[in-house]
Amino acid sequence: MLRVTLAARLALIGLIGFTVVVTVVLAIFYRTTVHENELTRPSPARLDVLATLLERMSGDARQAVLDAVSSPQFMVRIVPSAAPVSGETPSQQQQLRETYAAGLAGRPIEIVSPPDHRAARLFPRLARLMANAIEFRIGLRSGDLLVIDAYTRLPVTQLGLPVGFGAGLFGSIVALLALLVMQRETRPLAQLAAAVDRVDLSTDPPPLPDARRSAPEIRAVIAAFNRLQGRLAEMLRARMTLVGGIAHDVRTFATRLRLRVEHIPDDAERQRAVADIDDMIRLLDDALLSARAGAGGLSQEMVELAALIAVEVHDRRVQGKPVGLVTDERARNVVVLGDRLALRRILANIIDNALAYGHAAHVRTALKDGAVVVSIDDEGAGIPVDQRQTVLEPFHRLEKSRNRATGGAGLGLAVVRNLAEAHGGTIEIAAAPGGGTRVNVTLPVFQPV
Amino acid sequence: MSAHSATILMVEDDPEISRLVADFMRREGFEVACVADGKAMDTMLQRVRPDLVILDLMLPGEDGLSICRRLRADDSLPILMLTAKSDEIDRVVGLEMGADDYLTKPFGPRELLARVRAILRRANGAPAKPLVRRFAFDRFVIDLDARSVETVESETAALQLTSAEFDLLGCFVQRPRRVLTRDQILDWTRGRSAEPFDRTVDMLISRLRKKLDAASPGSGLITTVRNGGYLFTATVKQVS
Repeated sequence: MLRVTLAARLALIGLIGFTVVVTVVLAIFYRTTVHENELTRPSPARLDVLATLLERMSGDARQAVLDAVSSPQFMVRIVPSAAPVSGETPSQQQQLRETYAAGLAGRPIEIVSPPDHRAARLFPRLARLMANAIEFRIGLRSGDLLVIDAYTRLPVTQLGLPVGFGAGLFGSIVALLALLVMQRETRPLAQLAAAVDRVDLSTDPPPLPDARRSAPEIRAVIAAFNRLQGRLAEMLRARMTLVGGIAHDVRTFATRLRLRVEHIPDDAERQRAVADIDDMIRLLDDALLSARAGAGGLSQEMVELAALIAVEVHDRRVQGKPVGLVTDERARNVVVLGDRLALRRILANIIDNALAYGHAAHVRTALKDGAVVVSIDDEGAGIPVDQRQTVLEPFHRLEKSRNRATGGAGLGLAVVRNLAEAHGGTIEIAAAPGGGTRVNVTLPVFQPV
Repeated sequence: MSAHSATILMVEDDPEISRLVADFMRREGFEVACVADGKAMDTMLQRVRPDLVILDLMLPGEDGLSICRRLRADDSLPILMLTAKSDEIDRVVGLEMGADDYLTKPFGPRELLARVRAILRRANGAPAKPLVRRFAFDRFVIDLDARSVETVESETAALQLTSAEFDLLGCFVQRPRRVLTRDQILDWTRGRSAEPFDRTVDMLISRLRKKLDAASPGSGLITTVRNGGYLFTATVKQVS
């Protein structure tokens, strides 16, 4: 779709309105002045009377009449007839000639364009426009030829320019200025859009630029956005405080519980209770991290991703778990700008998922198109294509039983997705070559400028 | 002194956790005193000289970090921090503030016992090793206590920095490779700088950048990150 800016729209509305007004005014003007135009051309009756008068006179009297009726717009002279009037007339004047012939009581008449003058040769269109000249040649009954040059001169100003040229020029300049002003008036809206895009609610939001000289409507919009931004930041702060408060209190209870659990005499029971508390805290950490990621509350540091992955893999190998690791040569020193804890959680969740549901994890790190791709393959049954997107949703698990013995709360992959997206990355579930599940995490590589 | 007769001061606002820890540690042969906040701790410290302080990070009134900083300024009392957050940031900050180790809640009593014993062993072995605050980065060595910046090759002053610029560089060196916002930089430098140092972070950074670039051309040590953050890109090593 063609995008037309507000300024362009306003300009277009103005232009169309202007065009309509001008058209209407011109139409009215022509409808009312068309008669006058006819009148500037001498009427047949007037020529008939003039011819009759001149036929009756001769010598000085004739000259006096000629002087009396002549004007620059209506030049009348008498030429001793050399050649008889042929009656030939250019085709476009034919109808005009017939009108005049009818009014001249049988006198022969010719209508021709006046002889060229220099301006007409150079600018024929302009000359015609300016002169609108017409020449009548009427054969008098006295044998002379009456030649009338009728001009309808286009009025010009003192500078020699057609009347209205100045007005048009002035109008154009005004229109141009109006366009610039309009541009200036709508600029705050573009700035507002840019500022709203930049809004980062995790920090104290800076107020949007106040366009003090803008239209009241635009200022109202900016003020409304500022209030909205304030309210959002307030809400986000309240939510973070709430989540933080809950996390702190749950942790306090969990700590008490963890200390009390020590009194359980049965070793196996005690181990299970400790594992339960660890799971609970892990869930809480995930939720907290996810909430912080959503609020832009993650820290940013330069993390050597390959080293981080190596640590996670090593930790699990020490516990005797089958985790493979391949790191491409080029990805060995890659640096990602992000939250170390969050990145570790991303890897840990996916690797632990692979171990829990797919018996083994194979981690591969590679560079692709300026991003680093970490692929974790397992040796399980894989995830059906139609479920690959939904497993990334919170609290979704492949078995619907919600049986804690076979897995977590189902937050793991949702948290991973949240965290990956908070780092400007993506997560994608595909099929591993051996039929298992492959999880691809793509993260942007940091390059200091 | 043997670890089994050591006295532990527990600063923790939750009475149940205090009681449970105290019970456990007493069974392990420690003397344990419990207080709920910084004020009570100060009173207690006038009567008792503990061998180790277990300090909760989140306390009513004066928080754990501030107490830790205060204790460290006075003497070399070993401190074990208890944090509710598992963030590594807290660890970095906690250790910088002078804590000897930290433990994340919830913790098992055996874990706590192991940490406490380790700290006491270290404290007995090497009495109060002075905290060296010399760091090497790029081709510079900065000494935060002597307030000097030298080059690695020669021990001549490499940079002529104003007090505020030095504090800023110190702030970066202690938190390398992390994006710092203007507000964070302000928070961390204001406390130590006597100079007025408010909304001029940007200007100060650009001056420091110029000086670093002049002394080590093309190093680009300070990078600006989206949303007005700054990043010190060099790897920093502590040197003696």
